[in-house]
Amino acid sequence: MKPRIIITDFVASMKGWLRSRGTIFWSIVFPVMLILIFGAIFSGSDNPTYTLSIQDLDNSEFSQNYTQMLENITVLDVQKIPRDIDINDYIKENDLRGALVIPEGFGDKILESFYNKNVTVNLSFYYDPSDQGATSVVRSIIGSSLQEFNLRIANGKHIIGMDQVSTITSKFKYIDFFIPGMIGFTIMQLCIYGSIERNTKYRKDGILRKLQTTPITRTEWILSKMLFMLFLSFFSTSIAVIVGILAWNVVITINIWMIAIIIGNSFLFSGIGMLIGRFVKEEETADTAAGAITFPMMFLAGTFFPLDQMPQFLQDFARILPLYYVNEGLRNSMINLDYEKAIFYTGIVLIFAGIFFIAGVLLTKWKED
Amino acid sequence: MIEKTVQCPKCHTTLICTGEPGEVVKVKCSNCGTLGKVTFKTPIPSDEIAIEVSNLKKVYGDLVAVDGISFYVKKGEVFAFLGPNGAGKTTTVEMIESIRVPTAGSIKILGKDIKTSFNDVKEKIGILPQEFHSYERLTVRETLMYFSKLYEKRADVDQILQMMDLTDHKKMLYRNLSGGLKQRVGVAISLVNDPEIVFLDEPTTGLDPKARREVWNVISGLKKRGKTVFLTTHYMEEAEHLADHITIIHKGKIIAEGSLDELTKKYGTGAVLHVNKCSNSDTAKILKERGFSATSEGNGNISVKIDYKERVLEVLSELRRACVDYESIEIRHSNLEEVFLNLTGAKLSEETP
Repeated sequence: MKPRIIITDFVASMKGWLRSRGTIFWSIVFPVMLILIFGAIFSGSDNPTYTLSIQDLDNSEFSQNYTQMLENITVLDVQKIPRDIDINDYIKENDLRGALVIPEGFGDKILESFYNKNVTVNLSFYYDPSDQGATSVVRSIIGSSLQEFNLRIANGKHIIGMDQVSTITSKFKYIDFFIPGMIGFTIMQLCIYGSIERNTKYRKDGILRKLQTTPITRTEWILSKMLFMLFLSFFSTSIAVIVGILAWNVVITINIWMIAIIIGNSFLFSGIGMLIGRFVKEEETADTAAGAITFPMMFLAGTFFPLDQMPQFLQDFARILPLYYVNEGLRNSMINLDYEKAIFYTGIVLIFAGIFFIAGVLLTKWKED
Repeated sequence: MIEKTVQCPKCHTTLICTGEPGEVVKVKCSNCGTLGKVTFKTPIPSDEIAIEVSNLKKVYGDLVAVDGISFYVKKGEVFAFLGPNGAGKTTTVEMIESIRVPTAGSIKILGKDIKTSFNDVKEKIGILPQEFHSYERLTVRETLMYFSKLYEKRADVDQILQMMDLTDHKKMLYRNLSGGLKQRVGVAISLVNDPEIVFLDEPTTGLDPKARREVWNVISGLKKRGKTVFLTTHYMEEAEHLADHITIIHKGKIIAEGSLDELTKKYGTGAVLHVNKCSNSDTAKILKERGFSATSEGNGNISVKIDYKERVLEVLSELRRACVDYESIEIRHSNLEEVFLNLTGAKLSEETP
């Protein structure tokens, strides 16, 4: 084993990478773009606001107090509708998703209820059934506010309350979920396609034939390429982590398990790439084969969406995908800090890596038949 | 006593004959009765042999790609391995380069068996594989430096660039080079370790005539520098132009070998005088009657076999004496195309798509 030869090949790979717009895009620009885009899309999801239009036909002290109470709810953006406008026309013209009408006599009915227990009064909630998500939230807020308002009128008090305790890190946002997945996915792409290029394009171009007639050994060559893939993997990870921290204030912990998973991930998907390159000789066909493997993994292994949002059969399927264990391992080591799970997933990733990389190395041949 | 396997040029029956070094043995084909001579060459000293191939065979399933061939390459010569596509050239050269594993036979390079000592040999050989394309995103100089650093013994890269006339292109990325320049870089790569033997597998395939000439100049330059060049090609003019020794392979078997002169003398028809547009339609007949080997080719054209150069003047004198006028004359010498045609019954150019 000659370090000079390994360094020579590593430097050549590095120069090739720096001069290739395609690989720069996939290893740096693409993950950064996705982190920024997905981060921006979901950045508001922690403090959402819902618009609620209110028409107060009563204009009494009670109706004003209730309106005031709704205005004090931070997630609601209350907009008032003038009294003299037909509510149905107004909803249609302004394309409103939800509107609350306080009927005339609202205050009087409340006053009457103090003497006559059978008297009740109802508000009217107009909603768009196609927007179930927002409607159900607003309806639930109105329900809770009415309970509170009823309690105040009845001079009641809260006896039973609820403390909310998060079971994960202090503030777990979508971007915290997304960044580890993005790191796992990017390394997978880089290693599979890098490996395929080496095993199909280099074969087609006669580079492998040429190399085997030079003093470089297959071991030195594979070692050099793996060092380069590890460099790329850590480089991409660093970029993703830096962008996550700077753009979205993600709290990331770097530890031995995270590093072990990144190394395992690089070896795992380089091995899969070698296997594809061994059996599919044409570069274009090999790229398609790689796409057929990576594309489903991208969506099913919990890179973009949590697995528990999927049907059970897809969740079961995801558990046979290596990327699932990479993503979960990275999340538990970097974000959730659940080291017991991190060790478990790291172990599985390393077993996958061992199997696929050894099979890839053994089956990759320089000699022609 | 040496045992030699030969093939009848007429019926292609394989014959085995024996003789002493330097002896010429008369042989009669057991199948068609054709008579021939077999020369048992005096063996050259082993330290003058660069490559020695014995009974080399490569079989793929039912297909025998290379069928027990033997030959040697002398140090310092340009050895052309000529044959149509699919003849077994590249399979043979790739077995010599240790890229493919032979089914049987032995290969020695500079006296070392490559089965056991190829790693020792690697430092002493330079190879340009067929259809080779180097790393696209390295410059010409970086490419040479990359391959140079793989070896213990290294030639001066800048000198190679100069020798290959690549200095002006040294900063260009490999991917941006023309086909001819890429081939020149390929040859340059094969020289980075200052090798004793250079293998060039079809170095001019796909190149335009100008680029082909450039590569030929490079190969001629290698010979001048004392390198042994093993050149595989399906272009007969390339072998004619460059080679000291030519070995013709057809359907996995060697069908002829020797220098260009030896091959054309042995298998060609020699020089032929073509007389065009003769005024007398019986010109060929007249010449035949006067002892010339003449053939009518139609349209008043005739051809006359020329055994020695004075024969041309004799033919022309006879034509004058017979009052035969003609438009033009042309002397054509035998070439490898003709040799190949005579040996196989097919044109080399027709067998090479």
